[in-house]
Amino acid sequence: MLWLLLLPLPLPALGAVEKTLGIAPHLVSKYVPSRSNTWTCLDGLKEIPWDYVNDDSCDCADGSDEPGTGACPNQSFYCQNEGHIGSFIPSSRVRDGLCEPNCCDGSDERPGVCNNVCQEVGQAYKTKAAEETKIRKTQGSKIRSTYITYAHKEKKRLEEVIETSAAQITTQEKEVARLRDIAERAESLSAAALEMKQQSPLYTSLITHSNALKSLQREHKKHLQREKELSNILDALRSGYNPNYQDMAVLEAVRGWEEIAGLPHINDVGKDSVSDEEAGVEEDTVPDVAQTKEEVEDEMWSAEELENDLDDLLNSDYISLLLEHDEYVQSPPEGSVLFDIASYLPDAIVPQYEEFKETILSLLVSFGIIKSEISSSTGTSLDTSRSRQVLTDAENELNKVKKEKENAENDLKEIFNIHGYGLEGEWKKLDGTCLRTENGDYTYEVCLFGEAKQIPNKGGSTFSLGKFASWDPSPDVKPGEEAYYQKQIYNRGARCWNGPERNVVLLLSCGTENTLNSVVELEKCEYQFTGTTPALCRPLDSFEGRNGKKSQAGKDEL
Amino acid sequence: MRSVVLFGSFYALLALPHALAVKSQDFKTCSQSGFCRRGRALAARAQEAQSSWKSPYTVDPSSIVISSDDSTVKAAVKSSLYPEIKFGLELRIHDDGVVRVLLDEVDGLKKRYDEAASWALVSEPKLSKGIRWAAGKKELRAVFGEKNDIEVAVDYDPLRVRLRRGGEDQIVLNGRGLLHMEHFRSQTLKETIEEVASDENAEGQEVLQVENVRAWFEGDSEDAYWEEKFSSWTDSKPKGPESLSLDITFPNHGTVYGIPQHATNLSLPSTTGDSPSYTDPFRLYNADVFEYLASSPMSLYGSIPVMHAHSADTTVGLFNAVGSETWIDISYPTKKSTHTHWISESGIMDVFLLPGPTPEEVFAQYARLTGTTALPAHWSLGYHQCRWNYVSSDDVRTVQRRFDEEDMPVDVFWLDIEYAQDHKYFIWDHKTFPDPVEMTNDVAAAGRKMVVIVDPHLKRTSDYPVYQEASDLDILVKPKSGEGEYEGWCWTGSSSWIDHFNPASWDWWISKFKTTQNDTGFSWTESTEDIHIWNDMNEPSIFNGPEITMPKDSIHHGGWEHRDVHNINGMLFHNNTAQAVRLRSDIPKRPFVLTRSFFAGSQRVGAMWTGDNLGTWDHMAVGVKMVLANGIAGMAFAGSDVGGFFGNPEPEMLVRWYQVGIFSPFFRAHAHIDTKRREPFLLDEPYKSIVRDILRLRYAMLPIWYTAFRENSVTGMPIVRPHYVVFPQDTAGFAIDDQFFVGSSGILVKPVTEKDKTEATVYIAEDQVYYDYFTQYAYRGSSKGKHITVAAELHQVPVFIRGGSIIPTRERPRRSSPLMKLDPFTLRVALSKTGTARGDLYLDDGITYSHQQGEFVWREFVAEQSQKKTTRISSRDLASHNPGKAVDGIALTTFDPKNAFAKEIEEVRVEKIVVLGLNSKPRSVNVEGGAELKWEFVPGVAASDKKEGVSSVLIIKDPKVLITTDWAIVIS
Repeated sequence: MLWLLLLPLPLPALGAVEKTLGIAPHLVSKYVPSRSNTWTCLDGLKEIPWDYVNDDSCDCADGSDEPGTGACPNQSFYCQNEGHIGSFIPSSRVRDGLCEPNCCDGSDERPGVCNNVCQEVGQAYKTKAAEETKIRKTQGSKIRSTYITYAHKEKKRLEEVIETSAAQITTQEKEVARLRDIAERAESLSAAALEMKQQSPLYTSLITHSNALKSLQREHKKHLQREKELSNILDALRSGYNPNYQDMAVLEAVRGWEEIAGLPHINDVGKDSVSDEEAGVEEDTVPDVAQTKEEVEDEMWSAEELENDLDDLLNSDYISLLLEHDEYVQSPPEGSVLFDIASYLPDAIVPQYEEFKETILSLLVSFGIIKSEISSSTGTSLDTSRSRQVLTDAENELNKVKKEKENAENDLKEIFNIHGYGLEGEWKKLDGTCLRTENGDYTYEVCLFGEAKQIPNKGGSTFSLGKFASWDPSPDVKPGEEAYYQKQIYNRGARCWNGPERNVVLLLSCGTENTLNSVVELEKCEYQFTGTTPALCRPLDSFEGRNGKKSQAGKDEL
Repeated sequence: MRSVVLFGSFYALLALPHALAVKSQDFKTCSQSGFCRRGRALAARAQEAQSSWKSPYTVDPSSIVISSDDSTVKAAVKSSLYPEIKFGLELRIHDDGVVRVLLDEVDGLKKRYDEAASWALVSEPKLSKGIRWAAGKKELRAVFGEKNDIEVAVDYDPLRVRLRRGGEDQIVLNGRGLLHMEHFRSQTLKETIEEVASDENAEGQEVLQVENVRAWFEGDSEDAYWEEKFSSWTDSKPKGPESLSLDITFPNHGTVYGIPQHATNLSLPSTTGDSPSYTDPFRLYNADVFEYLASSPMSLYGSIPVMHAHSADTTVGLFNAVGSETWIDISYPTKKSTHTHWISESGIMDVFLLPGPTPEEVFAQYARLTGTTALPAHWSLGYHQCRWNYVSSDDVRTVQRRFDEEDMPVDVFWLDIEYAQDHKYFIWDHKTFPDPVEMTNDVAAAGRKMVVIVDPHLKRTSDYPVYQEASDLDILVKPKSGEGEYEGWCWTGSSSWIDHFNPASWDWWISKFKTTQNDTGFSWTESTEDIHIWNDMNEPSIFNGPEITMPKDSIHHGGWEHRDVHNINGMLFHNNTAQAVRLRSDIPKRPFVLTRSFFAGSQRVGAMWTGDNLGTWDHMAVGVKMVLANGIAGMAFAGSDVGGFFGNPEPEMLVRWYQVGIFSPFFRAHAHIDTKRREPFLLDEPYKSIVRDILRLRYAMLPIWYTAFRENSVTGMPIVRPHYVVFPQDTAGFAIDDQFFVGSSGILVKPVTEKDKTEATVYIAEDQVYYDYFTQYAYRGSSKGKHITVAAELHQVPVFIRGGSIIPTRERPRRSSPLMKLDPFTLRVALSKTGTARGDLYLDDGITYSHQQGEFVWREFVAEQSQKKTTRISSRDLASHNPGKAVDGIALTTFDPKNAFAKEIEEVRVEKIVVLGLNSKPRSVNVEGGAELKWEFVPGVAASDKKEGVSSVLIIKDPKVLITTDWAIVIS
């Protein structure tokens, strides 16, 4: 047992290390022994012999006595990395036999395990940093500054739009007021008579037909929509059903759908040397064939006409028609002869008379001598509905201008909004810019601040993956800082079969072009896009500012 | 973080729908299975006949032949129902007292399948020579065993086999007269007519046979003899009826365990008798049961026909070597006895009676028959991170990076089926995995491994070389015609299956896994030795097959029907894959191959998991029981998917599941493709830090686990041990299956598997001190058994050290287990009431088979009171004293404590010793013959006290003693 005495001798070499190893620069001053050669743990809770510091045995509850050995968990080990930049690694990586890339001086391992490669690493880092700087400074940030210029121009343009529209609004409001006055007067003249005419069985029947047709159209559209949704669901079921559910009912549903839609069985697609492409074409053409085969009876509308022309028909001005109708059936004149004196006059003088009548009548009416309500000749009735139409048009025009102004105002607000196009407006330029990338069987597209989509390359339905919702919503990230603009959220896309609504997280970084680089569906229906944009290439001074502020993070990336 | 913040609300929405449940209509009940129906009807007739019932099977005493070495007896058996049919009985006595009982039809029309045992057994058992058989008038007897206390008796009329000890029957075969071996017969014309006449009702041919003299026994109808329909499938049954019914009675054992895999209690509930727990028998028919029930006798993915019968007096075991579908009824006629009834569809009777008499000896006897789990690769005991699916090589890299950023240890990243182009296993989908080798190397750079799935279904397409080669070699399973290739539907669409029963498939399959170019065909050059394998779906799972598996009339090598070999099928695939992984490198390395399907003997090959569980509390709880039950049946390297495969567990459930997981031999988190990502780094605080600590606890305890695996590999003792194994005489503990011990370490665990728990009740079976692992609180049990209540807040998992144990751990957190190789140890010395403790520690390189050449370290730590008031803690080599029992696979004759591995770790030291329960503050602590050590003492309850409370704790700082050398530390 004598040899046991010798045991402690070789051990310090493999256990304890230099007292200063692994200590963060700002803490070095705290690692000095007291006069009685003791040391107090950094949490102040325990005093230990100075020998215990970095002796590869954990003594302090806070682990502060072992900055250099990894004997205490959850510590940080500082590599000095002379010739490069100092760096922290977790204590779990100290003396684990692996040379940490962040510890180019090899101080994290036992002597002789790792070479000091700080010279090369430092050089490579500088080269890389220089390249990054170049991109930011000379290319990316230049483009970015054009975006900012654009935003300012856009701001100016919008302000002009607002100004112009404001003027237009004033003018138009006056015009609307004038027209409203005319229309109201015309209407008050004919209201009672019109009401009478509207009692006509033909008219009421027309209205009923119209209502029925409208209802039918609404139902039709609803059904079309439902059919589309159902076919989407079934398409999704067909191409994505999970055979692990081993549900024969699902298989039957798929087969049934394929029969109705004239699709090949999904499992046969690609089989028997039918390429997916051909199968895709087939998918698209089959329904068309079915449609053209459908015989259309004479005078009956085709589906296309229903689609395109029905709205026009339903938007007909029935009042105008009613009044025009009167002309055709030559309903007996009503009211004063004065109003319809033209019919008793020779044709030759009718134009003159008409001109005269207009003047007289308007005079009489305006002086309150006769009331226009008793005038209900067909001509004036038509005038009434037309004046209403003119008014509506004018009002629409007014609303349009107002809307324009409002939009411009909103856009103006967004341009330099921290939550919108950024404090400098650098994102405004990219509003509506669409980035695409191909990934497997799909092309993925995101229109910035708009919508993200999944477009099948071989035919089939395009799915919305979501609409722009916000920048990085994480509470850890402050709006306005660079990280905030490195993430966009698009959500509320098309719902997955048996799953959530599709959504996208778009991760952006500085690059000289606007590109979409990768798409990955990390879990079902949740996509992660990565891309680059010059909008994130802040100029060098702000870059340095960031680096200064987050020096620790910066170094960890080395 | 991203998903949690953004989509946190989805968690609530996507919580597991209540409607999730097994599709029970996809699987047969006993009443839908012809032979099970016949077997149960037979039992019902016997029940009705009561004492007038007599088995028609008898032994012809004149036919008894004893082999020249006296180990084996053969005799002719006849059934009075069919006097013209011949049966042969054979008894073999093994040198460890196991009795093997075989019964087969002799000179029958066809041959019954008799190879199940040959697949299960590790080698031909050694027979015990010189048994003295006594053939009497009524019975044949033999007494044997080391103490001559085991007896086997064969009664002639009716046939009955009894294993006895101390004059008491332990196991009785055909004691209830339910033995029935349906002989091969021809389908007579009459039967054919009946078949036609019975219109569509094929299941219940109730055509009256007026003069059926056998009806009292066999029933009145030929129920599903020649054809059987289930749902839309028809089983053609070309061989006709050939089932085997056998009752096995344990007249003196009131508890039975085993016959995994079922989602049920460890102590098996009854299926017949008065108010049975289940109405159907336990079924063994490997099946891919989608969303299985958390309490059911239904079949699951694996089958081990092994049963232990236990009482406070003795434990006996039974291994029924049958590979066909088998149903087992269990009833408890009294508290102290058990009836079982085994109904198998085909095959000979080949039953091994394991005499015990202790659980330990039953494990050893079964281990000698079917082998033990080979010592696994050490890294495979670390944490496995799986998901269906990590979608790209960059995804894998990102997941690895996130683990490292969070300083959470992990050893293995897994790839499920989506890595493979069109699910053509081995063939990477280069759109998403453009650089599989580089990816694997990136993972391996941190000492980690990858496990990649290779399933047994081969896509039937000529551009898939693995299929094409198998097709060309004619080694695929054949359809019922026996010609061509069986075609079924799986992930791959139209698929075929390799017939691993065909020896021609073996070397070919092994060659597929070579990482270098093959002369003879495809080899997996796009892989590295850091890729290990996952065999899933090997029941086999076939989506359009009856009961989601292969039609029973499909044909395997040798013309055997699938029905004969179904339960063995998965094991062969697993075995051949493991051989392939072992042999792909020049220096064989320990393979890791996970299987879902298994059979008796699968334990030799590798790990299993409990399949596609649900993210629910009851599945978490039953997973613990299933892992224990698998251990009882030898399948020691077992675990359940942490988090549950289906569903989105809430953070509390996930944390609890990790607590369960770290105390499973196999520790993997897995998730279905439809679930939210749930890698531990995605958790919010405080859950994330709790799980980090849980993971680190697993890694700290790896020495305990590895040491337990060594023991298992040599003795067959389970890795996780239920109460009855440790305390076989404590009747109150027989049914306990929610707490267990880890190996022989003395670690007792009671994982919390219920929601909103802040306390747990733990059963202590003995009058001993148990220390809380974390708080060092000393609890005291009682010899009568005692329940203690302990705190179990979410961050707390109740773990105890049994007084008298020394626990070696490695407490330095690392990224992966290989990086801990040179880390120092901490020893927790938990003193017993009498002030003693012991523990052992086994280490080797964890990768190669050099341990079989003696390159390992096996130490014993002992704490004893050498003189009054002196406690001596010492370390000594265990292997030199017992080289033959150190490692599995080879009986070493000598051991060199300074072997090459020991040299590699010679600088590894003990950095801390914690002694719990000392009586008083030591006067001095020093290395024997050396200087005073540095230490601290916190007074508290002593081990020998009667009271409870935080124990006294002595912390010896860095004694600088080495793991590989002998030393002693004296505490005066």
